[in-house]
Amino acid sequence: MDKLLDILQDLRPEVDFESEQALIDDGLLDSFDIVTLVSDIRETFGVEVGIDDLVPANFNSVAAMQALIERLERA
Amino acid sequence: MSLTSLWFYVLVAVLLAVYYITPGKARWVVLLIASWGFYLLAASQYAPYLAATTFSTWLAGRLMGREQVRLDAQLADDGERKVLQAASRKRKARISAGAILLNVAVLATVKYGGFAASNLNVLLDAIGRDWRVPVPELLIPLGISFYTFQSLSYVIDVYRGKIESQPNLARYALFVGFFPQMVQGPIGRYDALAPQLLAANRFDFERIKDGLGLMLWGFFKKLVIADRGALIVANILSNGDTYQGLYVPLAMVLTALQVYCDFSGGIDIVTGVAEMFGIQLATNFRRPYLAQSVPEYWRRWHITLGAWMRDYVYYPLALWPPLARAGRWLRRAGLKRLGVLLPAMTAELVVFAVIGIWHGAEWKWLVYGLYYAILIILGLVLGPYATKVGNALGLRDERWSTKALRITAVFALACMGRYITRADNLSHTWELLLRTKAAWNPWILTDGSLWTLAGSNNETLVLLAALGLLGVVSVLQERGFALRERIAAGGRAAQWSVIIVAIVVVVLFGVYGPDYPSVFVYELF
Repeated sequence: MDKLLDILQDLRPEVDFESEQALIDDGLLDSFDIVTLVSDIRETFGVEVGIDDLVPANFNSVAAMQALIERLERA
Repeated sequence: MSLTSLWFYVLVAVLLAVYYITPGKARWVVLLIASWGFYLLAASQYAPYLAATTFSTWLAGRLMGREQVRLDAQLADDGERKVLQAASRKRKARISAGAILLNVAVLATVKYGGFAASNLNVLLDAIGRDWRVPVPELLIPLGISFYTFQSLSYVIDVYRGKIESQPNLARYALFVGFFPQMVQGPIGRYDALAPQLLAANRFDFERIKDGLGLMLWGFFKKLVIADRGALIVANILSNGDTYQGLYVPLAMVLTALQVYCDFSGGIDIVTGVAEMFGIQLATNFRRPYLAQSVPEYWRRWHITLGAWMRDYVYYPLALWPPLARAGRWLRRAGLKRLGVLLPAMTAELVVFAVIGIWHGAEWKWLVYGLYYAILIILGLVLGPYATKVGNALGLRDERWSTKALRITAVFALACMGRYITRADNLSHTWELLLRTKAAWNPWILTDGSLWTLAGSNNETLVLLAALGLLGVVSVLQERGFALRERIAAGGRAAQWSVIIVAIVVVVLFGVYGPDYPSVFVYELF
């Protein structure tokens, strides 16, 4: 969780990631942030984020991203 | 055989009867025979290309399917999971790369071979070399841009494990060659389209009626608006001495509307035909001229091509490790925003260059693609500042005036893009821009000059009325008004009245006949 928060805060320091639940739906992260975020997640966690995983539900909150990473680590 | 020829519909009517009297399990065979029959009737000389693409991509799918079976067996033996998966992934990558390279090479050779060779000769001439590359004069196989992209999406989806491969070549051939969408799309995905094609779709009179209604709406857009608009545009552009100044941008506005009605009208017709067989094709347009930003415009225009580019070019490229590393390096060097934008901007440029040349092997198409790439990148870079300026001016997102302003701006940019595509080449584009500048004549909007452009006042009136109807329907749909359902709720009398009125309108006001060969713009791509 800490490593993920570091990535997010480095990307958008002004966003309160721990409380936000609609990061994509509210436009706090745009598609360009997502490209960077996914690259950093791949690099840091060594998981293969597929194109089909790039849906708002997987990136709306830190918990959703954490769940995605855990799922991909098990795959 | 054209979508606007009577024979096409006679054959569709016969086919519908044969389809629904055939036992359920064999109905897909009727569609397969019909699809290949239509292709052979329309362009038998190109059938080997279609057959080669069908076979090569099917074979790649099967080989990857077998590879998956082998991997599953090895994993069941409790082997080194990650090692086995990585090795299997490599083998699948080699198979899919082979099929992709083969089909892209065929597409590139027939579509871009002549263009590449003639430009190479220009270059050789410029550097003073005597020898020349032979310029191949190949004709472009019917529908190749559409069926190649559709087949490649299948190969990549099997590689990614999103779908299972199809063991039966004939069933797969129906997915590649389904006749309504063969010529101008929409570009279907296997997981959405194939199950519908292979299902035993039951006869449903409501669906036949809905399909017929959609086809008529497509004919209205194509024959009443697009083909009438095309005549006016041709009149303005071919009489350069008479029509200067404001006439030229007006021709571009009309071109933008004409191309939309031509392409989306054609899509409505094929979607209607497919619907009568119980098959729902992918949505390809969602009122693009009501978009409030350029990226949104591209999410509403030729949706299946945009989605194809997003899934198979944009994301793989934007997430390409060397590009991601370069972005990370820039961010660490303190250029944070540039580091975030670099992978996305690079992918954006490539995607729009590909979308441009997908339309044709000419410099103007590449410039057209890059025109949109630059608009989108400018939007990205300047977006935060534009928001601040908008806030300072009191523009609020929810106000209708703000929305109208944005819609108008995006539409104006789309019309500007038509200076590139409607011209014969880039020097013609420049000529059209100079013609726009050559005269200042805003009074043509009010002094009655525009009424003569279509040949007669009545012709102009028909076009304006038709565009008005299209505008009203589009705004209603945008607001969530379910037009089809409302008409259906009016009972059979209301539904048939609408259908009969539509037929009368298309027959009376459509532009067709031996002097007006009706070709769809996107058939040529």
